[in-house]
Amino acid sequence: MYPFGKGFNRFIPLLLLLIPMALYIVFYFGPSILTVIYSFTDVKNLPGSTYQFVGLDNYKDLFFSGNSGERWRSIINTLIFMFVVTIVQNGVALFIAVIINQRLKGDYFYRAVFFLPVVLGVAVVALIWGMMFDPLNGPVNRLYDVLFGYQDMFFGSFTHAFGYIIFVQIWMYMGYSMLIFLAGLQSVPKDLYEAGHIDGTSKWQSFRHITFPLIAPSFTVNMLLSIIGAMSTFDIILATTDGRFNTRTMAYDVYKETFRGSLEMGLPSALSVIQFLIILLFVVVAVRQTRKREVEY
Amino acid sequence: MIKKLSAVLLAGALTFSLTACGGSSDSVDKETPAKGDKKVIKILHWKQDNINKAVEEINKKFEEKYPEYKVEYTTTGPDDEFKQAQRARITANDVDVLADLSGMRLSPQEWTPGAKVPDWQQWIDTGLIADLSGQAFIKNYNANDIEKAGTYNDKVYAVPTGKVAMSGLFYNKEIFEQNGLSVPKTWSEFIKLNDALKAKGITPIVVAGKDVWPLKLPVFALQAKILGGGDQQKWIEGVWKGETAYNDDEAVEVLDKMKTIQDNYMIDGFMGIDYATAPSYFATGKAAMLADGSWDAPTVAAANPELKFGYFPLPATEDAAKNASFVGKYDVTWYAAEKGPNKEGALKWLEFFSEPENYTTFVKAAGFIPTQDNIQTESDFIDNELTPYLGDFELAYEIMMINRQNIGEHLAAEGVHTEFLAPGGLYKTAKELADIQQKEWEAAAPK
Repeated sequence: MYPFGKGFNRFIPLLLLLIPMALYIVFYFGPSILTVIYSFTDVKNLPGSTYQFVGLDNYKDLFFSGNSGERWRSIINTLIFMFVVTIVQNGVALFIAVIINQRLKGDYFYRAVFFLPVVLGVAVVALIWGMMFDPLNGPVNRLYDVLFGYQDMFFGSFTHAFGYIIFVQIWMYMGYSMLIFLAGLQSVPKDLYEAGHIDGTSKWQSFRHITFPLIAPSFTVNMLLSIIGAMSTFDIILATTDGRFNTRTMAYDVYKETFRGSLEMGLPSALSVIQFLIILLFVVVAVRQTRKREVEY
Repeated sequence: MIKKLSAVLLAGALTFSLTACGGSSDSVDKETPAKGDKKVIKILHWKQDNINKAVEEINKKFEEKYPEYKVEYTTTGPDDEFKQAQRARITANDVDVLADLSGMRLSPQEWTPGAKVPDWQQWIDTGLIADLSGQAFIKNYNANDIEKAGTYNDKVYAVPTGKVAMSGLFYNKEIFEQNGLSVPKTWSEFIKLNDALKAKGITPIVVAGKDVWPLKLPVFALQAKILGGGDQQKWIEGVWKGETAYNDDEAVEVLDKMKTIQDNYMIDGFMGIDYATAPSYFATGKAAMLADGSWDAPTVAAANPELKFGYFPLPATEDAAKNASFVGKYDVTWYAAEKGPNKEGALKWLEFFSEPENYTTFVKAAGFIPTQDNIQTESDFIDNELTPYLGDFELAYEIMMINRQNIGEHLAAEGVHTEFLAPGGLYKTAKELADIQQKEWEAAAPK
């Protein structure tokens, strides 16, 4: 009746909740709000320096100054990165998850192999692919040479570097999406397939009408994770090309402006706010679309 | 049941975290007295083996002479990683002596409205950097060097520890001798030399294109000798005032000459070679020349101790006399923090560092051209390869250029970015890149 007791005791859970709440506000919510406020000021990364509100100046600097062309390109790159990574990563992950779910011999082994890159971490992955894609001595260039008689500059090419980064990103996180799909697939009751089989469904039909609707929640989770993940990726770019050769994205720009640009903090704050708004837009649309497909039988 | 279990787990977790806290505070109590009463001096620097070792040696001697101090020498990755650490530590007042990557870059002038203010200037203006004007050890250094690289508003704030040449090419003396080639004095001699090497099947030049910035080094020679008819300062002022331009004949000539080198004489796939491995290509004879700064001489020597190599300024024009000097910068420059935990210790350390004996240890290990007079470096490389070309030593474009805020990527980081030229880059001709640069320069003009 009174799960938390009576009188003052009733407030104890609330009081206890205040601790994580305070931590959340101090270390997460507060700085986020401050970022929004800072984006309208000329605040500097100098102790004791005063700052003033400058209205929309930082936003104007972003889109109407000498380097605004690059800003737009970063935004476009971010969108390309997000679309390609989300679609290809989830497509491949779902395909492999379905195959592994067929009770293959040694499925644990395959699962571990596909998941391994997630555990390696960005620095190691960048090192591995840096060596694979070494234009002078790397094995991939030899392969290209033998197969197509063609040589590439990989991470040093203005036209191809971004594509290779997308490939590495997908290679790195595909195992993560696969695991989530696999969990979804294993929760689909077998009797539904049997019922379908009796009704004479083909393999594609049973995937389309039984599997897919039932793993829709995993699909939603994977979509969200890859959209947010892809749009805020900067580490793999930093580790492979360091933003050179047309590989900058918004997240990379935020990092660069904040830690390596000038001492100004207003401009990177404005950039963060814009990045947040774009991510929010895509997440809201994606959630609305995928939620529609979720069913329970 | 579940409730009970979770209660037990929670209680367990709480106890564990409490004991963990207790443990750590105990260890702190025990540690504090062990450090003794020594006053810590915090020094921040970047990783560069030969220099780090010399500084560590000096630190050891310092601690022996002044046992009341303990030097805490921290190093980070070079360039951007270091800049990041620099900013974090100076603004948190958590450093006493900090190095900078070059001497003071030029600060905005009255003819550069709305220009970027360099970090060092903002730190001095906000009172984070100690004024060294009255310190006796400043007199150990050449007054001209202190004036050029350590002075702001008539006060001395920094100690430039040495100069480096950036505009030269290392060359393999054996390859040159075997093929009857000599050091070129003019641009056309330089082209002939490269063609002769190519005709014998020898790759002329290697450069670390993957890191992009090493491409700036030969360009510094071209800029210093070509822009403004050899008066770079005049050209830079002109570009601010609209009298010269990034797409004027001289600026296009700079890009065009670099394009000639990139297209014809660089090793295949140079855009894939990183800075750490480039010297090994040169040291093992895979290329006859290496475009790199003089500071890398110890690396080249270490990569192949048998190699006989020299260093000459890239001849940018047809005027041999004009070509015969290096373009470069002041390297490692020390600042003392005004509000650091131990300013007095910082000054003491700088004084010790500046004693000729210790300074010699440093400058020998670093391979720098000394900024103190009468220092014997006992280095063949400095005496025979660098000194003959130091007469008209000029600062590089990178140091002299005062950039506009929010400048586009083709002019960012005080460079002209020849990596954007075809075949690696997107622009087919020097003029195309030059036009984009001028457009970006104008677009970044203060409104």
